[in-house]
Amino acid sequence: MRTGIFFCQAENNRNLNIDSIAKYSANLPEVETVQILKSPPPPEANFIAGQITSNSLDRIVIAGDTPGHFKPVFTKAMALAGGNTDEVLLASFQEHGARGENALDRAKAVVACATMGVPFPLVAFTGGNPVNHSTLIIGGGIAGIQCALEIANAGKQVFLVEQTGTIGGHMAMFDKTFPTLDCAACILTPKMVSVGQHEMIRLLTRSKLVSVTGKPGSYRVKIRQNPRYVDIKSCVACNQCVEVCPVKVESEFDAGISLRKAIYIPFPQAVPNAYLVDDKSCTYILSAGKKCGVCVKRCPKECIDLHETAHDIDLEVGNIVLATGYELLDVSKIEQYGYGVYPDVLTSIEFERLTNASGTTGGKIVTKSKRINKKTNKEEWFFSPEGVPPRSVALIHCVGSRNKNYNAYCSRVCCMYSLKFAHLIKEKIPNVTVYEFYIDMRAFGKGYEEFAERIKQEGTFIVRGHSASVTMNNGQLLVKGEDIFNDRLVEFEVDMVILAVGLIPSPGTEELSRILGVQRDNDGWFSELDYNGSPTDTEKGGIYVAGMCQAPKDIPDTVAQASAVAAGVLSSLTSGKGIGHLSSIPLSEIEARARKIHAI
Amino acid sequence: MAIRVNPGFIDVLDRYGAEDVQLCYQCGDCSTVCPHADDVYKFPRKSMRLLQMGLEQKIETTLEPWLCYYCGQCSEQCPREADPGETMMSLRRWLISRYDFTGIASRFFRSRTTEVTAIIAVAILTGAFLIYYGFSRGNFSIYDGEGAFLSSSFIHKFDLTIGSVLLIFLVINALNMWYLTMVKGSPFPIPWWIYLKQIYQVPWHFFTQKRYYECEKKQEHPFYMPWFIHLGLMLGYVTMLILVMVFVEKLQAGPEIVWSVHIFGYLATIGLTAGTIYFIRSRLRKNYIQYKKSHGTDWVFIILLFLIVITGTGQHIFHRTGLNEWANVTYIAHLMCVVPWLLRMPFSKWAHLIYRPLAMYFAAIRKEAILRKDVQLRSNPVLVK
Repeated sequence: MRTGIFFCQAENNRNLNIDSIAKYSANLPEVETVQILKSPPPPEANFIAGQITSNSLDRIVIAGDTPGHFKPVFTKAMALAGGNTDEVLLASFQEHGARGENALDRAKAVVACATMGVPFPLVAFTGGNPVNHSTLIIGGGIAGIQCALEIANAGKQVFLVEQTGTIGGHMAMFDKTFPTLDCAACILTPKMVSVGQHEMIRLLTRSKLVSVTGKPGSYRVKIRQNPRYVDIKSCVACNQCVEVCPVKVESEFDAGISLRKAIYIPFPQAVPNAYLVDDKSCTYILSAGKKCGVCVKRCPKECIDLHETAHDIDLEVGNIVLATGYELLDVSKIEQYGYGVYPDVLTSIEFERLTNASGTTGGKIVTKSKRINKKTNKEEWFFSPEGVPPRSVALIHCVGSRNKNYNAYCSRVCCMYSLKFAHLIKEKIPNVTVYEFYIDMRAFGKGYEEFAERIKQEGTFIVRGHSASVTMNNGQLLVKGEDIFNDRLVEFEVDMVILAVGLIPSPGTEELSRILGVQRDNDGWFSELDYNGSPTDTEKGGIYVAGMCQAPKDIPDTVAQASAVAAGVLSSLTSGKGIGHLSSIPLSEIEARARKIHAI
Repeated sequence: MAIRVNPGFIDVLDRYGAEDVQLCYQCGDCSTVCPHADDVYKFPRKSMRLLQMGLEQKIETTLEPWLCYYCGQCSEQCPREADPGETMMSLRRWLISRYDFTGIASRFFRSRTTEVTAIIAVAILTGAFLIYYGFSRGNFSIYDGEGAFLSSSFIHKFDLTIGSVLLIFLVINALNMWYLTMVKGSPFPIPWWIYLKQIYQVPWHFFTQKRYYECEKKQEHPFYMPWFIHLGLMLGYVTMLILVMVFVEKLQAGPEIVWSVHIFGYLATIGLTAGTIYFIRSRLRKNYIQYKKSHGTDWVFIILLFLIVITGTGQHIFHRTGLNEWANVTYIAHLMCVVPWLLRMPFSKWAHLIYRPLAMYFAAIRKEAILRKDVQLRSNPVLVK
């Protein structure tokens, strides 16, 4: 096969020495021509067709960070020159993890594989180090739970590290899942209970990863477990401590729409099902033991110890799974929507808690009520079960997503949950008017399009056009937008606005990436090794990503990815080949393997 | 009538300054925040859409670009950084060249070199003619009165000649605009009496620029006052134009100051000086979004005006202080700026002085005609169930 290699590096901002790669690739078998094309401007099909004819090439390799971008031009050129368009191959540095120290060698290896027509993942397998059979999972959301159960069910030891007092993560906060409208808790809580009871899973709540040493297959990790102040084993969740606790703060589990005490249980189905003390608000802890302490006296089981301190746990694990999830963008900085200014402008997660039957209003969708705070003598707004249901609700998609001023990417779940909200509102409040402002309806999954269609049939006003402003006129919220399909500017009076807020990586992502040396992409999510070929691996051997911490995705995808990670972990435990850093395989090794396959 | 699509139109507009139209994904944020968009004139999103689709024949009949005063809120809000404000500005430039039957405007907008060369050529021709005329008829050391280098009666005739040339171009272009927007662009014939009813719009918008003021209210910055400065600049400009065209003989008489005429001249100079300095400064500092991108013609516009103000003020001061030679030199320099400026008017941004109030007038007529025709504007969203 007479092969031509074309380097198309759109933005060479990674200090990747293209000339050196080009020189290397010129010595590969059957290479006729190696050309470095300056881009922009993009290459022209006629020019490349000319090159193909003059060098009588049978195969073209496009090399660069994003060669797929140029593939249409080269395919066209190949067709023009009368060649086989299947022989336009890509050598993608970015996708195959040409990053960090070994970027150059890896890029060379990628080009070598493409030139010889050998799939890169086929030869870039790693091995070597023997693998410790216990696994560390960071993050106790649905991804971490699913992954832990899969691995533990195979009989392997799992350490599940969770930063808060309970596992469950965001999914525990949800009311229903789209598009099936299943109860989220009904799917999640049995899994949570299994995790809590599983003999192969050691659950470490209120814990954080502090440091990692060692090599793939045998990582020595240090976990800091913050004090819970309540003994999990003896606590029977009798609730007497909560009754006497005088401190009230916003509940994290209820997304801040209700209050909890300083000693609390996040939600009744929490695992481990025991109370914990919030050391940031407990009077006794803040005053260093001088004030309060009533819960200790009240507890009939004497399981509260407010003098407990943090302690470190050293573990030796073979694989580490990252499942740290996401959080919502701070929507108060997108000022035009008036979040934090107008009481009835809610974020999606706040509404999720409002409509949840275990929420503060018992699942009744109401607008906020006003009360006077006796301490500060100021008006404050809160959700009361006796509140007035809204007569009309506006749902605004893409708040901070697909927006170059905030997140350029699509958050992937907002269209669907907004449609779900529309359904829940219509279901719970008779004669309510629901407006959905959207830019593009991204209903891409199994049954999603049908779900969107069903919501339209239910009589929701679907407005094709984004609303850019929420204002208040005489106590009435006004949502302005352009109804593009009906060709008019609209201004709806509504009682409640729900913002489909964009998702960003959870706050600890950056610290974790520093501790573990796992790369993050431009948006802050963990980088997978190869988006198509190995979406669960990272370039660090034995470290995997599952769920939202890699990129926004919905629950089915998260669960699927978590199970895939479990498969990867288990295969490393049982194959006997051991694991190593993928970037640690020498170039010569990869090239030799590729040549071997090529010869066949 | 079928509308022909021009797929290359977006590239044409690129030359006029609309570089990022292709980025727009039609969310409608810009139309929502625009203080001027209403039920009949929905923009900038719709204009962006027409541009993306290459509907050149439709855009040339729209009035929307003229209704935008470029407060920049749409561009600030735009999630795609597609810069709708600048697109509207570019459409205005394109419309000016579209209304112009000679094709000169389009050349000027697309090539700065052509424009600057043309201006310099006209300036040199003017200067040569004036110097030749001055030395053959007058005395270089006399500024006005008997034997003046450039006598005021000659300048008056000269001004009126240039003015009539200008007027011919402008009237033809304005008629072209009327034909495109009101005849070709209207789906039905517009009754003549609406033209009469709405005629007040022309002086009202011309002298108050009320809509520009509506744009400004949205800004919270204490020193943000383009409306005020622009109004001062425009009134100063119009006053000066009237003085030059009608009262130039009194204006040039001296050395004592004729307050009945000169007071207007001084006021106009204040407006012009403040205006040009403010806009040059803003364009240099790029402190507001509407000044971030400056098309070549914007700079030519504002710099030429600034030179006119400086030379005009200079000759006045030199004359009053008895430096007649210097006064004559600056006078020639002044006229070398003024003549290309005036001749350039129908082919440049300058023409918005006429087109804007006309567009407000036409827009009001069209709106009333459409509302009277009972076109269904307030159709409710389609409720399936």
